[in-house]
Amino acid sequence: MNRSIVAVLGAAALGVSLAAQAQDVVKLGQIEAQTGTLATYGWMGYQGAKLAIDEINRKGGFKVGAKTYKLELVSQDTRGNPQEALIQLKGLLEQQKVKYVFGPFLTNVFNGIEPYATQNNGKFLMMGGATAIHAMLGKPNHEYLIRTWNWDAGESGFGQLMVDYLKKQGAKKTAMLFQNDAFGKVAVDIYSPIFQKAGIDLQIELFEPGTKDYSAPLAKLAAGKPDFLFPGYTDAVLYDIVRQATETGLFKRFFLVRGSMGPGLKNKDLIDDYIAYLPKYFEDAEKKEPKVKEFVAAYKQYYKTNDFPYDQAPLCSSSCYDHVYMLVQAMQKAGTVDDVAKVKQALLSENYRGLWNIRFDHTGEAVFDFDVLHMHKGGNITATRVNPH
Amino acid sequence: MTQLIAGQLLNGAIVGTLYGIVALGVTLTFGITGIVNFALGVFMMFGAYAAWYFSDTLGLPYPLAVLAAVAVTAAAGLVADQALFRFTRNNLVNGLLVSLGLIAVLEACALLVFTSTPKELHRVLPGIVMVAGLVLPKMKLVVFALLLVVIFATYAALTRTWTGRAAYAYAQNPEAAALMGVATSRLQTGVVVYSCGLAGLGGALYASLYSLEPTLGSLFILKAIEAAILAGIGSVTGALLGGVILGVTEGVGSIYLPLAFRDAYGLVFLVVILLFKPAGLFAGRR
Repeated sequence: MNRSIVAVLGAAALGVSLAAQAQDVVKLGQIEAQTGTLATYGWMGYQGAKLAIDEINRKGGFKVGAKTYKLELVSQDTRGNPQEALIQLKGLLEQQKVKYVFGPFLTNVFNGIEPYATQNNGKFLMMGGATAIHAMLGKPNHEYLIRTWNWDAGESGFGQLMVDYLKKQGAKKTAMLFQNDAFGKVAVDIYSPIFQKAGIDLQIELFEPGTKDYSAPLAKLAAGKPDFLFPGYTDAVLYDIVRQATETGLFKRFFLVRGSMGPGLKNKDLIDDYIAYLPKYFEDAEKKEPKVKEFVAAYKQYYKTNDFPYDQAPLCSSSCYDHVYMLVQAMQKAGTVDDVAKVKQALLSENYRGLWNIRFDHTGEAVFDFDVLHMHKGGNITATRVNPH
Repeated sequence: MTQLIAGQLLNGAIVGTLYGIVALGVTLTFGITGIVNFALGVFMMFGAYAAWYFSDTLGLPYPLAVLAAVAVTAAAGLVADQALFRFTRNNLVNGLLVSLGLIAVLEACALLVFTSTPKELHRVLPGIVMVAGLVLPKMKLVVFALLLVVIFATYAALTRTWTGRAAYAYAQNPEAAALMGVATSRLQTGVVVYSCGLAGLGGALYASLYSLEPTLGSLFILKAIEAAILAGIGSVTGALLGGVILGVTEGVGSIYLPLAFRDAYGLVFLVVILLFKPAGLFAGRR
């Protein structure tokens, strides 16, 4: 009889304990394109966030006050489609009761969800990299926004610093070949005045997303005899543009503010200069920075691969990885997991030294150090660390 | 400017043959099975990744990798036919739904296996050919020649062999063909497998020119269907010409008109042609 009572009480206690544990979970939503032609950023962001969450949970979670919490990732694939993203965001906020959302990285997706997200201002925090978020930071009813990527323009903007570097290379004329989509148009708006101010002529051609053969625009642009080609913003197009431009000998000098070194390295013998903005030159950092070395090893182990995506990782994975840790630190500092305003305040006061050195300015926009990589003919790379803090 | 236009005429024709090879699959499948197989785009993607895998990962010489990719894609087509398409024969809507479902499944599988990071085959045949100031990569010319050979060989096989004539007979009157001893079920399966093999060949050759990503087939299947409609469904040489016309329209149109709407030029052209020739440019011809 006694044994039965002990068993019942034990089971009840276990049930109560499990119920309490079930409640102590902080859900992190994520709305990113994980498939489709613009999936690189979202896919890498998903991988970085998942890895960080797994690490934190395996260590038993994190403490806020007396309570220990675990993290749960609720990740949705927007496929780059604003309508799908809107439905997914509604699901995250209304059904899943998520208070922290990572993403989106795509401007068209952000534009599609912005009105709904703004209606829910104060109820959640959105940490996205989309360029269009920049214009909304600091505006009334947009307190839910934090932008997780460096801004291009302005004195400490990475784009401005990149164009300054380009000018030092003697560039007088540059041809910009970008996707005709939401970000492509924003990029033209951002970079036209920067180039104009630097005294560099800018020819612009926008191409239809999904294009694979660039013979026509490359021939058209090359006729203007520019010094550098400033091509698209994702590797999905960069591989083809750089290959076709070098194969035909139309361009040998490239300038990039988004995308990876991969396309340049593939064609290193046909390229004179390949200048790229990269938040972190992983190949180099892995040798010098213990945290980066640990991250690469953890990534390989978690995803059961020997191929670390060196050229893709800096685009997002490592930043999302850091952002999860930053968010946890902010919750601990704020002493709450529910009060998003306090957590945001704590985030803005952080100066995080993870894989990257990240802080947010007063508007909620990330400022982090980055590398200007300059690949010369044959593949020799020089890296210049730029600290815009 | 003349050079730029001539260059785009030639380049458009080359790109057009890639549209044409998939369009040929579309037109054959529709003629024999009565379905518009949108999944031929993902079979093209399958062939492209297979060629990349056989060549860059397993180290097979590129020509062997292409043959292996075609064989694997045709085998995948056979599996798809026996598991799915044979239940949708002559049912346009069901066939369309199955092919759309197959696109979603195969693209998701490709993303899981190959990720969204573009894959690029090593340069199979580097270098360019310069003719009268026109610059063309050697590999593009090889792809062009190979596709022309395959399309004309298909045409010859359809017009000069018993099986080919049986296929035409079946397309015109299935009951009469069956009564004359044509093994209709085997013929339909054969055409689906052959069309998938053609798409696989297109993909394997595509891999030598462009980077690969899981969604590459979606763009091509739309162009291929556009080319097949432009030519008139059922015409083999028309599929090739439809593709070439589309490629040239896009290439030359991009010089004078904003590049951002390149896909629209082909569609506008298609609408204009259909206004005057509703059955397509080469309808009724083989």
